[in-house]
Amino acid sequence: MKQTRLLEGIRILALEQVMVVPYATAILADMGAEVIRIEHPEHLDDRRSGPWPDNIPGEQWWNEGGTFAYWNRSKKSLCLDVYTPRGRELFLKLVLLSDIVVDNFRTGTMERLGLDHESLANIKPDIITLTCNAFGSTGPYRAYGSRARTIDSFCGLSSISGYEGGPALRASSNYMDHTGALNNAFLLLLAIYHKRKTGQGLRLDASMYETGIQSIGPALLEVQKGIVQERTGSAHPYWKAPYNVYPTQGTDQWIAISVSSDEEWARLKDAMGQPEWACDARLDTVPGRWEHRKELDRHLAEWTSHGDHVTQMHRLQQHRVPAGAVYSASELLQDPHLEQRGYLASIPPEEATNSGSRRYAGRAFADRPFHMPKVETRMRPAPDLGEHNQEVFRGLLGLSAQEIARLKQEGIVLDRPSANDLASPPQPGSGMGAAL
Amino acid sequence: MLGILDDVRLIELSHHLTGAFCAKLLADQGADTIKVEPPGRGDAARHEPPFLAGPPHPNQSSQFLAFNTNKRSITLNLETRTGQRLLQGLVRAADVIIDSFAPGYLESLGLGYETLHQVNPRLILTSITPFGQTGPYRHYLSSDLVEQALGGALIGFGDADKEPMALPQNQTAITAGRNAAIATMAALLYQRATGEGQHIDVSIMEAVVQTPPGHIHQYSFAGNNVARGAAGGQRSVMDGMHLETQDGYVTLTTAGTGGADAMDAWADFLELPELKDPKFKSRQGRTRHWEELRELVVGRLRRWKSHEFFKAAMERRLVVGVVQSPAEVVDCPHLAERGSFMALDHPDLGILNYPGAGFLADGENPVTGSRPAPRLGEHNREIYTELLGLSQHELAQLTAAGVI
Repeated sequence: MKQTRLLEGIRILALEQVMVVPYATAILADMGAEVIRIEHPEHLDDRRSGPWPDNIPGEQWWNEGGTFAYWNRSKKSLCLDVYTPRGRELFLKLVLLSDIVVDNFRTGTMERLGLDHESLANIKPDIITLTCNAFGSTGPYRAYGSRARTIDSFCGLSSISGYEGGPALRASSNYMDHTGALNNAFLLLLAIYHKRKTGQGLRLDASMYETGIQSIGPALLEVQKGIVQERTGSAHPYWKAPYNVYPTQGTDQWIAISVSSDEEWARLKDAMGQPEWACDARLDTVPGRWEHRKELDRHLAEWTSHGDHVTQMHRLQQHRVPAGAVYSASELLQDPHLEQRGYLASIPPEEATNSGSRRYAGRAFADRPFHMPKVETRMRPAPDLGEHNQEVFRGLLGLSAQEIARLKQEGIVLDRPSANDLASPPQPGSGMGAAL
Repeated sequence: MLGILDDVRLIELSHHLTGAFCAKLLADQGADTIKVEPPGRGDAARHEPPFLAGPPHPNQSSQFLAFNTNKRSITLNLETRTGQRLLQGLVRAADVIIDSFAPGYLESLGLGYETLHQVNPRLILTSITPFGQTGPYRHYLSSDLVEQALGGALIGFGDADKEPMALPQNQTAITAGRNAAIATMAALLYQRATGEGQHIDVSIMEAVVQTPPGHIHQYSFAGNNVARGAAGGQRSVMDGMHLETQDGYVTLTTAGTGGADAMDAWADFLELPELKDPKFKSRQGRTRHWEELRELVVGRLRRWKSHEFFKAAMERRLVVGVVQSPAEVVDCPHLAERGSFMALDHPDLGILNYPGAGFLADGENPVTGSRPAPRLGEHNREIYTELLGLSQHELAQLTAAGVI
């Protein structure tokens, strides 16, 4: 079936860092939107974050990081300092040619730059803006910063995460960036829909704190009626048993098993060959299994410890028992189901058109979890730093070669990192996994 | 009230949470959302504890209430001929169906995408299943825990020396539901441009694979799996570990110091010159000496109340978190001033504050409508008579026959 580049013709100017906005615009870029990532010549943190191909930052390390490639695939890079008057002027000229401006600066920065929604709408009345930060543009905490993990704390998710009887634990690493980014992609599509329907722009003011509270809606309703959710580790908090992770053969290998009906319990007994401990009438009902869940967990852990997690998963699933191997990334890369579905993405060597992608072509990335027969959603290379300077300045804005040369001299436009950055390249082996 | 999607009609044929959350995101933006439930028990989520008034009650499950705002509910038995015919009537008037049945189930009822597409070529069918419509695991059984495991998220959560620890509150449904809403919005744009629908295949497992921060490319680039405990902030005193204050816990980061040395900034703020010791300067050093560092920092933090510490540190542009309980979140003055919650009045439970849209549009909470989650079959009369044109008599007959 023929697939369409659904968002072709939509131009997005992105003043974005790290993940919560970049990952959202990447999703739209995969669907054909022209996302121009405006990069500050001296703030290259996102391009320093690794991981590096074969763990070694190459000669052009700023174009080769895996996380940068993942969050900025399919985009263009324009290296422009919007903090300078001339840089700002050029940015505003681009706004006239664009549909959407996104940022995830702290509240107040876009106002200081004179690039807030009102200023932009004055020159482009149907502009859509999205700003997303920790707490949003209003309210007493609006000027405060965040990391995804401080939002885990704020929104309540961490306080209910933890082992049974133990303290609250930080719930995740970047989950709040991830869920916030998905929300932002949804909002941008909503705004495009709105504009096509009404001809009007929209000012979107998103906050990671609020997508966080959306993620624990039930717990927030419960507490208003005096119900407090206990921490239970991987066990079910209310009624399902057995429902937990169990050790299998090998180091740090586990299987998740979840039983939610008497039928599933009967099938689990079959799968295990009706061991004596399981043939106990007390365990044949939901309340009975819940009451004896600790005992069940002990016996089941003993049973699972004699096999490997993948073999046991298939055996249990053949008996119609919900079970899943606790996979690591290396196992996901070999999983036959994902392979058959063509889930993982990579840049094919023939499409590696720039310096960065030539180094990481063929390496796997997680991809979108939906298949749309009529909409193309293919990942393309992330841009080299300033790769699209010429295209944008000459092609879109009609600047002359001399004018571009002058901008370079004045440091407003660059296509290589600053001397400071070049003098301190990232270390081999650095990158996300090491940094966490 | 923007009502961005007030020209969209959506039918939700889903059970449990993922499809319900996806449909809720669209319903809160004004889509006319009709939740079709089996007569009798209704959506399985109605029976998930806890129940807000105490004893089990199909209209009072917190999960059902949270994920079904601004929808209407009808009952319909899809396993009857008449039920299938009535659904086709609804399909004629709909833009989107969201379903979470096992692959092949709708086909077995004569309601597969090809059939529905003939009834309404504009129809978008968003099918959300644990493993997708294709592939060797498509008929495998699942649960939130199994998804977290197979999606590669679980292995990273929790303590390195304990078993993996799941995230609470069905996060697989949240992450897959958000993806399904993105795909559905994209399909709506396509439909409005071309007049054509399509069948979207959403896999919850794949949504989970996408969730942890880059574990796939960490492996494909650098060749290592991300270690458990790394994500949990254990031993990361300055980066996510929960640290005691006078009245709770806070988390610190090394962010926000504007390029200045983070430990110097913290040493000044906490009046703890010991933090300037070179052994704490690098992350590796801080991990090596984490117990000593923790003792130093917590010694100071115990002088503060969490929220006072938070404000003082944030005013200095240091970035910190307060570990808030759900009760504190509900009472948060920031969320109140922003209007983040929507107060909905439920006939059984009174007024409760529900998380809103997660954003403001043109400065206002854009949630359209003020319906709490519907009671089972609450809207049978208006939908069957007004939308499908049944007479009162026919409705009564079909109800008696167990079709509705």
